[in-house]
Amino acid sequence: MPDVSSPSSRRLLCALRNVSKHFGNIQACQDIDLELYSGEVVAVVGENGAGKSTVSKCLYGLYSPSRGHVEVNGKPVAFRNASDGEKAGIVMIPQELDLFPELSVVENIWMGLERPRYWHGAFNSSAMERRARQLLHQLGLIVDVTTPAKLLSAANGKLVEVARALNANAQVIIMDEPTASLTEREVSNLFSVVRALKRSNVAVLYITHRLEEVFEVCDRTVVLRDGKMISDRPADQETEAGLVKKMVGRPVEQLFVRHFHEIGDVVLEVEGLHSGSTFQDVSFQLHKGEILGISGLIGAGRSEIVETLFGLRDRTAGTIRLHGEVANISCVREAFDHGIGMVPEERRTLGLILPFSVKNNVTFSSLLRFTRGIFIDTAAEDKFAEKAAREVTIVGAGLDDPVSALSGGNQQKVVVAKALARNPRILILDEPTRGVDIGAKSEIYRIIDGLAKQGHAVLMVSSELNEILAMCDRTLVMREGRLVSSFDRKDFSPDEIGSAAAGVAVNPSVA
Amino acid sequence: MTGNNTRAARAGGLLTNPFSKLGRTTVLAIIFVLQITLTSLLVPGYFSVWGLLDASRAFVEVGFISLAMTLIIITGGIDLSVGALLALVSVTIGFSYQAGLPLGAACALGVLVGVAGGTLNGLITTYFRLHPLVVTLGTFALFRGIAFAVSDADAVSSFPRWFSFFGQYKFGGMVPAQLVLLGICAVIFWLLLAKTPFGRYVYALGHNPTASRFSGVATEKVTVAVYAIMGLMVGLAGLIHTSRIFSARGNAGFGLELVAIAIVVMGGARILGGSGTIWGTVVGLLILSYLQDGLSFAGVRGDIGLTIIGFALILGVFLNENIQKIR
Repeated sequence: MPDVSSPSSRRLLCALRNVSKHFGNIQACQDIDLELYSGEVVAVVGENGAGKSTVSKCLYGLYSPSRGHVEVNGKPVAFRNASDGEKAGIVMIPQELDLFPELSVVENIWMGLERPRYWHGAFNSSAMERRARQLLHQLGLIVDVTTPAKLLSAANGKLVEVARALNANAQVIIMDEPTASLTEREVSNLFSVVRALKRSNVAVLYITHRLEEVFEVCDRTVVLRDGKMISDRPADQETEAGLVKKMVGRPVEQLFVRHFHEIGDVVLEVEGLHSGSTFQDVSFQLHKGEILGISGLIGAGRSEIVETLFGLRDRTAGTIRLHGEVANISCVREAFDHGIGMVPEERRTLGLILPFSVKNNVTFSSLLRFTRGIFIDTAAEDKFAEKAAREVTIVGAGLDDPVSALSGGNQQKVVVAKALARNPRILILDEPTRGVDIGAKSEIYRIIDGLAKQGHAVLMVSSELNEILAMCDRTLVMREGRLVSSFDRKDFSPDEIGSAAAGVAVNPSVA
Repeated sequence: MTGNNTRAARAGGLLTNPFSKLGRTTVLAIIFVLQITLTSLLVPGYFSVWGLLDASRAFVEVGFISLAMTLIIITGGIDLSVGALLALVSVTIGFSYQAGLPLGAACALGVLVGVAGGTLNGLITTYFRLHPLVVTLGTFALFRGIAFAVSDADAVSSFPRWFSFFGQYKFGGMVPAQLVLLGICAVIFWLLLAKTPFGRYVYALGHNPTASRFSGVATEKVTVAVYAIMGLMVGLAGLIHTSRIFSARGNAGFGLELVAIAIVVMGGARILGGSGTIWGTVVGLLILSYLQDGLSFAGVRGDIGLTIIGFALILGVFLNENIQKIR
């Protein structure tokens, strides 16, 4: 349980007073009242589009509120930009790493801040390095501070960002989905950092999609829905189900949807697959009606395997058999011809043409199905897109609106609909629910379950262990480019899968 | 939450973007009509249907190139070699005819050289993954160099009478043959870009080549195709040019790339790719060409034309980028 600081030591650091922000006639957030006290961790939860980012952007100065104001140490302030916010001690750590990859750790820690100088004006690099080492040491990270940031793991990069925030004398640190790209071990390490920040009287605004984290490190929970503040209560008075209900506005009976049934014959058989140095000697079988997981850490070579199966990457050795016959897949079109479809890892950069309409994205992979002569048959395209959008329940924008107008979850459903438009018998899903809100998640699980029931074979790469545990019939575990183990559903154990992925025996009390 | 921002941005765009209600091409078409009216009022004797049609002979060649340049710019590419390639086409026609080839075969060979040159640009760009700006700057020098070397600063002008058809014949004594051909090509390009899967791929390539590849688009083939189409258009333009001036020389088509790019950008294609229309380009062509024509009719010195092109290019880019930002 988080230790709750005694009320007497609580000092009001900053607050949003009746803050509203609108863009044109779109209300992004409305009448937000939020106080942050020293030494507390406040979780901000809500679905995509609920206004979490807008609220935090108003707080650290990137947006100026349309109405209301920000208060720091009891005085109203008007930040003109994010660096004004930083000077007032409010620092943002964004979801994606925000480091300069080619610059050293020490340069990153001092980026944008007043640096120590010698009397003759040059930067005092030894003082800079000393300070950087000291800050990182405080956070439990021991690295050579002169190494370029690009060599750090995602987790250590996160710590460097925290160190930079502390170096900027942050009173308030906003963390946007800090654990999105971390492994379980790294997450627990980050939590101890968050607790240490708390002890040193920093306030942390913790934006997250993962509700279990809320109860792990947060003292208070703020729920946003449709730009409005739905509740603001101590974490120990909340339950996960209660939070979900407030976020969604209706009860979600069940997040995961899975009906298990007999699985069929082998449809895909991979033997001794290599691709240069990214992965080696991968062999597995995928059956009709089966959901097969590929678990592992980021960078273990999971995406690379599925990209190879999808014809996007050259294999250097090994065979792929489909329905018993050797298949040579050297481009996406050949993968399509063999009945393979894929939902790629990054929907915004790999899955969608963002400025295209919802309709044009849904039909983009299967455009040749909707032609009359050499021309696109727009009537057939419309009809199909309408039906597909209804099946995967895309809501939030019309079929002719740009897909970028949709929330993350609905965008992901468009990517799924696009892959399904070719009627694939084998569907590859690479992180199918990353950055997707709970409502959309549950609908995507429903779709995946439905496909398996209809006899499709599903190969699902996922970093979310819960997802693997709930949805898969079997899971493979990868580490450093190799398949290290495989678990049947009856043998599923989070600890064992986690330790196989990390390559160490995990002490259950730590994990 | 990005969804929110985009929705908001779109809503804001509707309030502030003056083109949003009408569409850029319509606005440009209105400007064109105003421009012709104004020139006719200010310059006595300028306006006549015959005169306007006759003036079109001067811009049809760049028109063909602009159509293909629209496709290239939408994919996010560019082709700087078109003027040089046009010279190479012209020199090929003239000097292979002089060397004894029948003129019909010489013309076919010229167009073929155009297609080959364009295809070469496309292949180098895709298979060596080089930026087309550098590739076509290189072939710009290469093509021009070959054209000069072959012609040796000489010109061929001894064509038979019938060769004048492509550049000098007028239907009913009024409508230049090449203008009719340009009109047909514009319709074909419009259909290709707006109505076929290929056109959809061209736009997608300009927005996001990686997502296109993940969606099964043969991105290399599409890229090579747009440059090859450019080659074909340069071939046609080269043929018409040679016929119109009845002479083949190595310095033909000088500065043509600049004019074509200015026209396409003026017509609303973003230089970074992903947007643009054929009708926008057609109207851009009309505006810029008749502006130059009107000025020269009024007796303004010829070099002002280049100044106008430069101005139009920068204005066009400015408008495209800023309208895009609001959206």
